[in-house]
Amino acid sequence: MSAAAFKVCMLGDFGVGKTSLVARYVRSTFSEKYLTTIGVKVDSKEVLRAGREPVKLVLWDIAGRNALDTVAANYLRGAHALLLVADGTRESSLASVLDLLMQSRSVLPHAHAVLALNKQDLVGQWEVGPATVRQLREVLPVLETSAASGAGVEDAFAAIVAGLVP
Amino acid sequence: MATLPAGDDHANPPRAVPQAQAPGDDFERLRELLVGDERRELAAARARIVELERMQGNLPQRLPEAAIAALREQGDHPRVSAALAAPVAQALGTAVHNNRQGIIDALFPVIGPMIRRAVSEALRGLVDNLNGAIESSLTLRGLKWRLEAWRGGVPYAQVVLRHRLTYGIDHVFLIERASGLLLHHAAAAGLPPLDADAIAGMLTALGDFVGDSVGSDGGALDAAQVGESLVWVEHGPLLNLACFMRGVPPAGLRSLLEQRLEDIHARLAALPEGAPLQDLTRDTEVRERIDPTSVLREAQLALSADPAAAPKRSPRWPLLLVVLLVFGALGWQALRQWRWNQRVDALRAELAAQPGFVPGAIESRPWRSLVVHGLLDPDAPSLAPVLGRADLGPATVKLAVTGFVSADDRVVELRARRVLQPPPGVTLAVQEGVLRLAGDAPAQWSAAALARAPLIAGVRRVESTLGNALDPRRVARAALSKAIAEASALTVEFVREDEPEAGSAAVVDDLAAKLRSAQAMAQDASLSLALRSVGSSDESGADATNERVRALRARWLALALAARGIAGISEADATLNPDPTRRSARVQVVASDLPQ
Repeated sequence: MSAAAFKVCMLGDFGVGKTSLVARYVRSTFSEKYLTTIGVKVDSKEVLRAGREPVKLVLWDIAGRNALDTVAANYLRGAHALLLVADGTRESSLASVLDLLMQSRSVLPHAHAVLALNKQDLVGQWEVGPATVRQLREVLPVLETSAASGAGVEDAFAAIVAGLVP
Repeated sequence: MATLPAGDDHANPPRAVPQAQAPGDDFERLRELLVGDERRELAAARARIVELERMQGNLPQRLPEAAIAALREQGDHPRVSAALAAPVAQALGTAVHNNRQGIIDALFPVIGPMIRRAVSEALRGLVDNLNGAIESSLTLRGLKWRLEAWRGGVPYAQVVLRHRLTYGIDHVFLIERASGLLLHHAAAAGLPPLDADAIAGMLTALGDFVGDSVGSDGGALDAAQVGESLVWVEHGPLLNLACFMRGVPPAGLRSLLEQRLEDIHARLAALPEGAPLQDLTRDTEVRERIDPTSVLREAQLALSADPAAAPKRSPRWPLLLVVLLVFGALGWQALRQWRWNQRVDALRAELAAQPGFVPGAIESRPWRSLVVHGLLDPDAPSLAPVLGRADLGPATVKLAVTGFVSADDRVVELRARRVLQPPPGVTLAVQEGVLRLAGDAPAQWSAAALARAPLIAGVRRVESTLGNALDPRRVARAALSKAIAEASALTVEFVREDEPEAGSAAVVDDLAAKLRSAQAMAQDASLSLALRSVGSSDESGADATNERVRALRARWLALALAARGIAGISEADATLNPDPTRRSARVQVVASDLPQ
């Protein structure tokens, strides 16, 4: 039997590095042009777990936006988890992704959510302060990632898997 | 009824404590001791009844919110839905039965799009097949297929579909409609691996995008085509079935995919309550339903078993009748033409045999008209009898002739008769250009004829044996010759030996008269007559006896004639028997010129 599959939607503002994170994590089948045409690109990744059944993540990389329109809301339909991506160097991107999270709750009231604060390699330029990060960690899992170096990427997806299959 | 305290006091009513002593308090205390607990329970029960009545009174206002809350809170355990399913179905049935028009009005906005979609699907399939048929019907390939259909006794459409059924199914995806997650993927053998989960997701995203962008009435992406690659997506309430193909599949395959998706949905009922949809793929029947090879096989079977396309022998008798009629008409026409040609050829041959006519061209319109061209001598026999015997039916026959002079002996003879006008007693004949004149004719006619005859066209020479028809001796000799012939024809018959038959005397009298007349004529003709009596006998009996009988009969006739005045009759040699079949006697007359 094939591995259990879970739909994971990635949400975040423009330019926060969602697609780069996915590129770090999977080898894409489809071109990035779909992001600018139909607004989404889908990839899949089978996650092996020591001593346990593997799971498959189907990643819906939804084009960057700061509000959910009808099309994007349809893309979220049936998702099991959300990977929220914000740019640590732009605090406004954090506000946007949290706003997107709130909007998505009307479609996905129970979806597991993980926040990735990207561009960890530029931590010196971050606008998001440690206090904010601490407060966020009280609400949802928060991981610091770097699509440039790959740091934290696997952990972010592992956190999603952990939330889906405890 | 007693007034009851409100609030939580209902549940825990305070125990009754006497406030002051009064008359009858003892009785009240005693009653309290005896039935105090029961009274409090009774009061609590009454309070509960009142509360329930109040809640029941508010139920219509509370029910919608309560139902929504219950449905929202049921999560993955549809207990409320299950509980409501039976009464809702029953209520729906009753409503349909009692208020049919109302149900129709309510469903109208839903039914319309459904019907439109069904009709559009059917029309699309029809148009596909029509396009295929029309595109191929006027080509050499189409004619070949028509011949194949005629020879095989199958409809043309089936042959077209059979040849157009050059398609293959590469991938079949079973996709959860809501999430776009792949439930199962089946691929044809030999294809490279692909990220089926990503493709299923992208296909779902694309469908959502198309549906949100251009779709209306809940429409969705049903098909996409790039070159020879084609994707068909069948949509179900919970599952979608996507089929990736190459070539030009028949419209019937679409119906088959719809049917298979419906079958898979029906298998959902076999899943345990709350089980994820992915468990559906454990069902071997579901996996078999989306196997490309199985789909192709069933599509072929469905096409061959389609009653509308079932091999049915086209009735051939109309075609055979037409062919028969055509061949019959051609045969009849050929026969008529043959008969006409036969008769025209026979007419041409007969005309060619006619003296004084040289046939030329014959203009012929079969059984309508005939014009005969040629050269015709004016003295030639008429051609009308020949044309009349030709039996040309209603055709009109005309002669278009040019005059000429024929050298044919028969025509020359006719020309000579026309020119010479021979009298009776004159014979006229032409042979190889030689005109021969014979007989007796007046000397004046003979002289004129002999003078004109050489000038007649076609006469090269004239030979004449004409006599003078007015010479008395010749006339007498002719009369004598006739009289001699008559006398020689008379015979006397005998019964036996020289006993004549009855009536012989009259014969002898007649014979004697003719001989007497002949003897008179002989003098005018300057001839002398020799008379000889000849006896005849049959050949039965001895020769000597027969010879004696012949001599007796000759003697008897000579004596009988002598008795009538005819003298000088000799008797012939009895050894001769001139008429061995008769027992008779007669007279031979020999004329000879008188000595000068």
